[in-house]
Amino acid sequence: MKHITILFIGTALWVAVGCTNINSTHGPSVTEMRPDERGFVAGLGIESQDLVTISEKMARGILGAEPIANAEGKPVIVLEPINNDTRFPIDKDIFLMLIRDKLLEHAANKITFVAREHMDKLEKERDLKLSGQVTGGEKITGNKFKGADFILTGTFKGISGRGNAGASDYVLYSFQLIDPDTSEIVWGGNHQIKKQGKDDVTYR
Amino acid sequence: MKIATSICLLSALGFAACQAPAIRRAPEFNGDLVAGGHRQIAKAPAHDKNRWRLITAVHALKLGRHSEARALLATAMPSAGQILKADARTRLAQSLFSPENVKGFHGEPHERAMGWFYRGMFYWMDGEPDNARACFRTAQLMDALAAQPEHRADWVLLDYLDGFITTKLGRDGSAARTRAQANAGNTALPAYNAKANVMVFLQFGFGPMKKTGGDVGEKIVYDGGHSQARSARITVSGRTLIAPTFDNLTFQASTRGDRAMDAILANKAAIKKTGDLVGDIGVTAGAILASQPKTEDVGVALLGAGLVGKIIGGSAEPRADTRTWTNLPQHLSFAALQLPVGTHTVTIEFLDANGIALPDRQKNVSVTVQTGRDTVVFVAD
Repeated sequence: MKHITILFIGTALWVAVGCTNINSTHGPSVTEMRPDERGFVAGLGIESQDLVTISEKMARGILGAEPIANAEGKPVIVLEPINNDTRFPIDKDIFLMLIRDKLLEHAANKITFVAREHMDKLEKERDLKLSGQVTGGEKITGNKFKGADFILTGTFKGISGRGNAGASDYVLYSFQLIDPDTSEIVWGGNHQIKKQGKDDVTYR
Repeated sequence: MKIATSICLLSALGFAACQAPAIRRAPEFNGDLVAGGHRQIAKAPAHDKNRWRLITAVHALKLGRHSEARALLATAMPSAGQILKADARTRLAQSLFSPENVKGFHGEPHERAMGWFYRGMFYWMDGEPDNARACFRTAQLMDALAAQPEHRADWVLLDYLDGFITTKLGRDGSAARTRAQANAGNTALPAYNAKANVMVFLQFGFGPMKKTGGDVGEKIVYDGGHSQARSARITVSGRTLIAPTFDNLTFQASTRGDRAMDAILANKAAIKKTGDLVGDIGVTAGAILASQPKTEDVGVALLGAGLVGKIIGGSAEPRADTRTWTNLPQHLSFAALQLPVGTHTVTIEFLDANGIALPDRQKNVSVTVQTGRDTVVFVAD
């Protein structure tokens, strides 16, 4: 009887201790991070810390490029969407926007960017002014929209692998400043990132 | 008497584990599959919501409710490259006393590939073919862990579309096309037309379903899907072309091979079977020995060991996760057309294995072609 009682109590304790609630009772937690920090949900893809690092590097590179550093006046730069040749779907404007903003922040007196992405709205506003429906049309003489001295664009390329040991992704982020009159690449810069990881065993 | 009391106590403990089955009410249905899907998402436990999101996304896609489908897929799927980490639920799924399906649902490789395939289609609809290509590449990578080398990353349509988009973007897509053709076997894949501006994505039939296999449900086996349709005949402006089957989802699902999790489930199954065996022997032999005054002590010990074995065997949960994305198709197909700007009526007939049009399956789709971007159409039989 003694054995059985011990067995009974032991089993009851084991069951009671073994069963725990795996759903958090504290609700979701939020941690605010800097965009250049690697988050705890980091993966193999293109992440905010990559964006910050790359855009800063490219902005420095463009400022030091001979055609920009020694330009007479303020050259006009137009942004053209990036060609994504990786396995990661991306917002293709975000890199160029950040590079542009960093350049404007540090060298607004050296470079001019034009807002080609808003061309439809700009044309509409200009037409409203010219038609006299809104004020300001008298200041517009001829076409005042600026043409590009340089086009800033880029190509992302990747090599991806996946095996029993895990997954790896290499991405080459390549940017170019192109003279549209000559098609000459007047500046080029790149950044390479390789990441490796492994899914939990339950998902492999 | 003492022994009888002990057996009663232990039996009571054993029966305490038995629960009356939960009453499952018939699902509410008002004819709107998407609304029904949203109800299921709301009702489902957190670790199963993604599965319902995926199912509802395909319902929405078939009904032409693309923005809903797009949003559901984006919510249900991890971002490309996200590492699926361990958490309390994955640890529980590995534990001896929990089945695998307590973990968050991300599907098997063919399901993950289909999620990325659909997302790629949506990117193309949005005028972002390079992001679509990125999704098709990620989809192909989901299949890279198949057991046999010849079955790794062998989806035909994913490589075909990778090469097609690369060609359309002015680069050389021939390498991807060569891979696609190598995996397509005897099916001659259509040549790329870089000027094509209407992309017709087609799917036929009902895809594979998971069910448990093995002695104690520790394996996933697939019930093959079914489709009467094997190809589609597309007619527009007096021209006709045949869209062949590119991929068979049952083939993709069943050529995946063993998962890493299968070894864990096999261990659980071995413990369960051993526990049951020890239990059967211990209880039977123990009961006989305990009935004799001379061997009572040995019998009680054996009975106890047998009961522990029974408890372990009865509590072990080696069941594999058979939750399924239930409304995937059996076959995938694709056709690219070059049409002038304007609105066109495209007629799609689904053909059986003998090339005969299936009755009552014809669909007429109105396609509006715009300048400077591709028009992407999705049609299911």
